[in-house]
Amino acid sequence: MSVLSILVFLPLLAGLVVIMLPTAQQGRYKYIALGATLLQLLLSAFVYINFKTGADFSGVHQRRQFQFVEQTSWINLDLGTLGRLQIDYFMGVDGLSMPFLFLTSLVMFVAVLASWEIKTNLKGYFALFLLLDMAIIGVFVALDFFLFYLFYELMLFPLYFLIGMWGGVRREYAAIKFFLYTLCGSVFMLLIIIGLYFSVTDPLSGSHTFNMIHMMDPANYVGGSIFSPSAGQQLFGISARLLAFIVLFIAFAIKVPIVPLHTWLPDAHVEAPTPVSIILAGILLKIGGYGILRICYSIFPEAAIDSSWCIGLIGVVSIIYGALNALAQTDLKRLIAYSSVSHMGFVLLGFASLTAEGISGANMQMISHGFLSAMLFFLAGVIYNRVHDREIANFRGLSLLMPKFTAFCMVAFFASLGLPGFSAFMGESFSLIGAFTSESVNGLIPRWMAIGGSLGILLSAAYFLWTFQRMFFGELRLMGGEDWRIQLTDVNTREKIALIPLALMATLLGLFPALVFEKMNSSVLELIRLVNP
Amino acid sequence: MPLISFVWVSTLAKRGSGISILSILCSLILSAIVFTRVWNGQPQHFQVHWFSVGSYHLTAGILLNNLSAGMILLVSGVAFIVHLYSIQYMRSDPYLRRYWRYLSLFCFSMMALVVVDNLLVLYMFWELVGFTSYLLIGFWYKRDYAVQAAKKAFIFNRIGDLGFLAGIMILLNQFGTLNITELFGDGGAISNAMIEDGVWISGTHQMPAVWLTLAGGAFFFGAIAKSAQFPLHAWLPDAMAGPTSVSSLIHAATMVAAGIFLIARIYPIFDQNILMLMVITGSITSFMAATIALVQNDLKQILAFSTISQLGFMMLAMGIGAYDAALFHLTTHAFFKCLLFLCAGAVIHQLEYFKQAAKIEFDCQDIRNMGGLKNYMPITFTAMLFASMALAGLPFTSGYLSKDSILLYSFDWASSQTGLMSLVPYLAVLTSLATTFYIARLIFKVFFGSFRQKQRIPVLEPPSIMKVSLMLLVLFCVFPMFSWNPFSVENSWILKGFSADVQVLSQSRLLHILVPLLVTFVSFALIYLASIVYSKRDGDGSVTQVARDSFIYELFYHQWFINKLYNVIFVIPLMYLSRVSSILDNKIVDGLVNGAGRSVLFLGALSTFVDRYIIDGIVNLLGSISKSIGNVTRHFQSGRVQHYMITMILLLLTFFIFKYFS
Repeated sequence: MSVLSILVFLPLLAGLVVIMLPTAQQGRYKYIALGATLLQLLLSAFVYINFKTGADFSGVHQRRQFQFVEQTSWINLDLGTLGRLQIDYFMGVDGLSMPFLFLTSLVMFVAVLASWEIKTNLKGYFALFLLLDMAIIGVFVALDFFLFYLFYELMLFPLYFLIGMWGGVRREYAAIKFFLYTLCGSVFMLLIIIGLYFSVTDPLSGSHTFNMIHMMDPANYVGGSIFSPSAGQQLFGISARLLAFIVLFIAFAIKVPIVPLHTWLPDAHVEAPTPVSIILAGILLKIGGYGILRICYSIFPEAAIDSSWCIGLIGVVSIIYGALNALAQTDLKRLIAYSSVSHMGFVLLGFASLTAEGISGANMQMISHGFLSAMLFFLAGVIYNRVHDREIANFRGLSLLMPKFTAFCMVAFFASLGLPGFSAFMGESFSLIGAFTSESVNGLIPRWMAIGGSLGILLSAAYFLWTFQRMFFGELRLMGGEDWRIQLTDVNTREKIALIPLALMATLLGLFPALVFEKMNSSVLELIRLVNP
Repeated sequence: MPLISFVWVSTLAKRGSGISILSILCSLILSAIVFTRVWNGQPQHFQVHWFSVGSYHLTAGILLNNLSAGMILLVSGVAFIVHLYSIQYMRSDPYLRRYWRYLSLFCFSMMALVVVDNLLVLYMFWELVGFTSYLLIGFWYKRDYAVQAAKKAFIFNRIGDLGFLAGIMILLNQFGTLNITELFGDGGAISNAMIEDGVWISGTHQMPAVWLTLAGGAFFFGAIAKSAQFPLHAWLPDAMAGPTSVSSLIHAATMVAAGIFLIARIYPIFDQNILMLMVITGSITSFMAATIALVQNDLKQILAFSTISQLGFMMLAMGIGAYDAALFHLTTHAFFKCLLFLCAGAVIHQLEYFKQAAKIEFDCQDIRNMGGLKNYMPITFTAMLFASMALAGLPFTSGYLSKDSILLYSFDWASSQTGLMSLVPYLAVLTSLATTFYIARLIFKVFFGSFRQKQRIPVLEPPSIMKVSLMLLVLFCVFPMFSWNPFSVENSWILKGFSADVQVLSQSRLLHILVPLLVTFVSFALIYLASIVYSKRDGDGSVTQVARDSFIYELFYHQWFINKLYNVIFVIPLMYLSRVSSILDNKIVDGLVNGAGRSVLFLGALSTFVDRYIIDGIVNLLGSISKSIGNVTRHFQSGRVQHYMITMILLLLTFFIFKYFS
């Protein structure tokens, strides 16, 4: 039992405790969850500190270079003539996944703090919450595709109930939309997984395998199998590998999300209770990005190169389209949701460039957005909790009433709009720099995409500043009159405990981006070598 | 190294006026030490590894040469005086602490901006400066126009920042480093790069040559937003919504000069095209702003347009290669413009008191409401007079030295140009004369004539600390601070410091004497004219009344309609676009998803129908058929032996009958 397993199953254990405890004790559930996530945070900090960097620990497609590895045979069935069914319990981290462990733990911790607002059916809520926690960590550490898929699908189930049962007015609509949308992507993913399984063999045992790392090595493919790089099989008139890449990409891209597959996101974010919004924006979107790097790019490198122009274009379109939509929103949560679409566009743009700066920048952007969007949703939740309204136009001059809240909002807004000194600036500027250099380094995406993407920075300044001006400045004027004035109290200690670490991380990473860049640098370089030798 | 410590001091100074002032004083002393050590000595350079991405290793550090040492002394000096002034000026503000906090943050970022050695770090402070300016413009956040002005300033600066970022991307791509020394130093990457057959080559990297121009253009774009040049100048007049001390420090002396500073710092990158663009932008801006300033009535607005106009002069000087003259003018301008604003602040401040005392309502910033103040506020008047003379470029002032050097350079430059470009110096002279006129108008309207308010309560002189800071600045408005010879620019030590070898200005001796003489002479004539027109009680006499109805007056008064133009060209279409995309998103993209959902539901309903009525129908039909058959046959199973007998006999009979007949 190594640290990763503990990290994964600790929330499950806590969830079991929650289920075991009688309902009379339900006041303690949140403390159990809080304790579990705090422990998880410490463990992932331990992983972060003990994570070794350097060319010998780059990972990606080198089994030996992964760290904290656990591998035991899990399912090993003799199927007679069909060979052996071999599924491993295989976990490990490299520079690509390790930062996300820390991100997940911190965001989960904050989400628990935001869960104080949940008042009904606490047992169900916290049990599902902790199950979700387990699944997310599992996705980031799994190196066996079957295990990955298992965790990936396992995420959906608690999320569906969390949105559908504890959400807002249109929660059922949002929940079913979210569920079906994501499922739609992942069902086809299953087909590809099966196809890959029959194409790849374990070089040691000779039997078929779900091991992702084996899938990244062209030598392990069975000659003539459907996804064999040398066989060049065709499906529906296009290369089977390209098709597989596209299917997997769409599956993950729904999560990211990209325009035009993004419409589940505003609904789900708006209807979900605050902690679930935090998890959705803070972590779930990053699973999409992580999956694209870990699976799409690593297993189908040549398809990634072929389609990078399209991915870059999708990125630019998402940036600008998301920003324009954000500008038109009147609901605070919807605005943040669309700003997420815009910010995640930078991630795709960075990926498409396939340069070290671009991919590092994209990863930085994901981590930074994880902290910042969690913070933004938390802040939106603060207001919603107090007066159950989120219409921007209904608030004015809040800075007079809630100065501390305003200060936090200011940090979150300005950090999100890419003010230097905060992490989002590093993420965005390096994604753009990567996209810009791509033309002279590998010629994958043209320079105008970087210039187009930088327009998003301008637009994000416009919508954030405009919102800030409308809600916080001017004379105090509230829709709900005197009632609201009493209800809108400034942030309390619990909320500060949640907000300060997020603000701190955003600043820390903005001033010392080496904290992330150096940890992942060798992995990123290795990935680029793998994809574009 | 003292620098680091003072940088920290000024960030940590976040509590109150005392600490802020103390820290800014520390900064001033330390930067004076730095200045004496670095000025005309070896440039000093310190750096540490910051982070690496891929193959790029970025460092952060401090680069001190004449330029940055001079700038840091200037910034800390002006900042110190403004701090001093603010003690009194902001005393009664309820959010005083916030003010000091923002001001310290600004000073920190501005000072860091001028010393850092890496373009990315420079960019960070560049934006941070813009951000603190946002905070300070919107300091009185209850006033809507202040908040909107702040937003406008930030977004305009952001537009420029995009240019800066694009420039960074191009340079990083081409040279793989952002270190200013490595890029722009002697024998640095830029000077080693060359252009061959339309390809820009540096080591192993190459790009089409047009990217060199684009890189220069990108940085230039960043600079014009920060330095409020046409067409991105529109934010600066609005920025006057902040406290006057802030306008003085940020929007006159330091931050707006950052654009010029940036150009100076990376001067080698600009090629001929961009330099020409600078000349054009600079002259258009300076001329346009001066004409606008002629007709404005708001005290601070006039000064704001004057700032834009002077920055245009600097830009012009940069464009014609008079790098040293531009920086010299930057320095002198920082002092006299700061002084002008502080005096204006004193006037406004005292009029506010007067307004409260007299219990009447009028706009304290409108010069039409003032007049005759020289009798009430002699010290402020004297200070303002010196500053105005410097601004107008009258002899024996610092402005004379720097402005004339720009004019002379431009005449020299124009002699090698043909066509429209040779008109540039004449436009500059015209602008310079307009400057004289509007500042004379301001002085006469505010200080001469008689006071235009009815109440006879005297307007008081500002408190002593404010007076001290005004007097300190007056020192810097006169010639001995910069050159012992009031008529010779070449002797100015700053000019010598900024350029390795001062170019010989005396290409044509005659011009050198003639131009200043003529300009001065006409200036005095204009001042006399202004005194006639404006010092009377009802200042806007018949002369201006005629002009008022003309189109040109309208054009100038409405600031060349640029704000409206922006609104029509950019803001409205953008809002429209965002609404369209929102509708698109809701109706079409989401509509498709919901449509897909609904069609699946419909399919479900359809298959339910098919299932219930057709498939299940068939099953039920089969069932009911067999049931009815069963019903029919059931009657056969009556259980009575007699019936069975009869049936059997009948069957047997039938059988035999068939057998018999067949």
